[in-house]
Amino acid sequence: MAATERLTLAVRGMHCAACVGKVEGALRRVPGVENATVNLATERATVGFDAGRADVGALQSAVAAAGYELVEPPAPGVDTSEAEQAERDREQRRARLRFIAGAVLSAPLLLGGMADVFPWAPALLRDPWVQLVLATPVQFWVGGPFHRGFLRDLRHRSASMSTLVSLGTNAAYFFSLAVTLWPHAFRSVGAMPYYETSAVVITLVVLGRWLETRARGRTSEAIRRLVGLAPRTARVVRNGRDVDVATDAVLAGDLIRIRPGERIPVDGVIVEGASSVDESMLTGESLPVEKHVESPVVAGTVNGTGSFVFRGTRVGRDTTLARITRLVEEAQGSRAPIQRLADRVAAVFVPVVLVLAALTFAGWLAFGPEPRLLTALTTTVAVLVIACPCAMGLATPTAIMVATGKGAEHGILVKSAAALEVLHRVDTIVFDKTGTLTVGHAELTDVVVVGPGTEDDALALAAAAEQGSEHPLGEAIVRRAKERGLALPPVAEFTSVPGQGIDALAPDGRVLLGNRTLMDMRGIDVIAVEDRVAKLQAEGKTVVYLAFAGQMLALLAAADVMKPEAPAVVQRLKRLGLEGVMLTGDNRRTAEAIARQAGIERVIAEVLPEDKAGEIERLAIAGHRVAMVGDGVNDAPALARAEVGIAMGSGTDVAIEAADVTLMRGDLHGVVAAVDLSRKTIRVIKQNLIWAFGYNVVLIPVAAGLLYPVWGVLLSPMLAGAAMAFSSVSVVTNSLRLKRWRPDNEEESHGG
Amino acid sequence: MAVDPVCKMTVEPAKAAAQSQYKGESYYFCAVGCKQKFDREPDKYLAGGGSPMSGH
Repeated sequence: MAATERLTLAVRGMHCAACVGKVEGALRRVPGVENATVNLATERATVGFDAGRADVGALQSAVAAAGYELVEPPAPGVDTSEAEQAERDREQRRARLRFIAGAVLSAPLLLGGMADVFPWAPALLRDPWVQLVLATPVQFWVGGPFHRGFLRDLRHRSASMSTLVSLGTNAAYFFSLAVTLWPHAFRSVGAMPYYETSAVVITLVVLGRWLETRARGRTSEAIRRLVGLAPRTARVVRNGRDVDVATDAVLAGDLIRIRPGERIPVDGVIVEGASSVDESMLTGESLPVEKHVESPVVAGTVNGTGSFVFRGTRVGRDTTLARITRLVEEAQGSRAPIQRLADRVAAVFVPVVLVLAALTFAGWLAFGPEPRLLTALTTTVAVLVIACPCAMGLATPTAIMVATGKGAEHGILVKSAAALEVLHRVDTIVFDKTGTLTVGHAELTDVVVVGPGTEDDALALAAAAEQGSEHPLGEAIVRRAKERGLALPPVAEFTSVPGQGIDALAPDGRVLLGNRTLMDMRGIDVIAVEDRVAKLQAEGKTVVYLAFAGQMLALLAAADVMKPEAPAVVQRLKRLGLEGVMLTGDNRRTAEAIARQAGIERVIAEVLPEDKAGEIERLAIAGHRVAMVGDGVNDAPALARAEVGIAMGSGTDVAIEAADVTLMRGDLHGVVAAVDLSRKTIRVIKQNLIWAFGYNVVLIPVAAGLLYPVWGVLLSPMLAGAAMAFSSVSVVTNSLRLKRWRPDNEEESHGG
Repeated sequence: MAVDPVCKMTVEPAKAAAQSQYKGESYYFCAVGCKQKFDREPDKYLAGGGSPMSGH
């Protein structure tokens, strides 16, 4: 089997949705590449390739040939993100500098060029030569990136926003230059220089770019915050001495010393000392977790007041924290169908706009009023500038990015953008029972005393017999006795009877604790309790019989109890129009008892582990859109098969890998929150697309001058540039509204 | 004290490993095996002597 390697790499030089398609295409054409997705908002490419047939060098040269830059694969951890952040900051500063220069130079151009609006403008500013001096740096330095992008596109026979901006502004600039050089020829037909048009368009587009880089920087914070959870250095014990070592350089097997209040650098197991550790940043569990020798510790969590030494087991890119970070990164880099639609439209859009611009030019030249060339040029510039697809390219990625970051903050890790898009339309949520709807281990629910003595006496006797038992039911009994602080009577001669229970001797009688078979074998009369047993079993409980000195003493019932929030969650889902279904391998009676308590009407019980996925498929064939919530290894296939798999963070790694969404808190309210987040995200994406498309579609005819014959309305290229910049900004800002999202029913506050 | 009717061992009723009811009488055993033998052919062991202990 060929090893498929998966890398997420930074891509530089992309500005438009059209670029995304080009980079993806270039990557996919590299032999050995199985899939490649590029995200404009994060400026990242995620590539899956056969490590035997392709390497990073091949990918880089393919991307370079397409006119972009694929950045060297990351050294793991903090450094990468910091280098990226530094690069982002530099880019942001450059964009700001360009914008400021553009604004300073364009302002006098605007004053001088629009003398009708600003009659007080000094005459000097109306001098075309002065205007030329002001406009030239804007055109070629501030607007430089667009022209370079245009030339790059020309070489690759493709088109993007840069094509449009460069064409439009150059048309305006060179037209004005001609007017300046040969004033008599042009002025005779009433032509005026339009330096201010090109300068202001470039300045406004650069402003949009700058705001975009700011927004992009902000929405990527989630990842950086995750990465920042791990400390940079670790105190490693080497040759009996403590040495500070960069976290990246810690090896599996190193001994690491942790002092009070420090963050844990890598995953490992405690070998010396004890403490309590705050793991809330990973699990959302607010209570510190007690740790002693052999307890696992996880990178990024915070030590309490104790100190300890632990042995690193998973380091570098293998720590839980690094894996979670990659989950979020992959989600932010993966693309969803609705986004592909936006991208496809953008790629088609550019040539269509070029054709429209040509038609506009030709139309005005043929039928327009005098001066024909001037009006034709002006309208063509407007059409070219209005049509930048940037806002479209950002519509989906920004929304998905903000939403996944926000989700992660509330313990909902979304692995793929597609999941976030699909989740909003599921109509059926299938819950695994054990560990998902229930707490996952047996709790003692009833003690029914039928002989002499109190409940506590019976419990103490049972606990004494079950001491050291590894049976889950025995553990539940011992736990309860400890909680009640009961003194256990001394017992001896424990005998575990396989398949039946326990036989032990107390000072004044024999203790028998086990099932019906044990009682029968020992001749204990159970007729008197049969009704009680039947009733408890109907409630889905497991019943053990306790006999003492030849007599039935008590019945102890235990059950895997339902999570307390389950009924509320099922109710909330119902209000959202989602049906809850229970899927379990347990017997029907136990399953139905829990389902009744949770308010779930549909129960699929007694399902073999390998058939769980089949049941999901059956629901899908019946026309349901199914999300599956589970935690066990046996749920993994069903999680993968469902349209959206949701794993409980308390679950197994296998389940988490198979699922699309992981709820880091074991809390079922996360299911409702995830559905809600998905619905809100979709709404924002649709709004974004309407903003972007609507503005392009509506303004192009106006820019082309179609309204001119009726109302004499023409869109000035300046207004077009402003409208475009603000459309990009509206889309980004609209996406940022998702930052205000909170789960409805968040009971506990953060870090509490 | 009672005597196991099968193996004739002395058994303390409260600590007997098993017990049986037969014709209104309680019998106590040192082990499950004895009870099983007794339950199959109680009369054989009762006829063979040993004194049943009256229950309760």
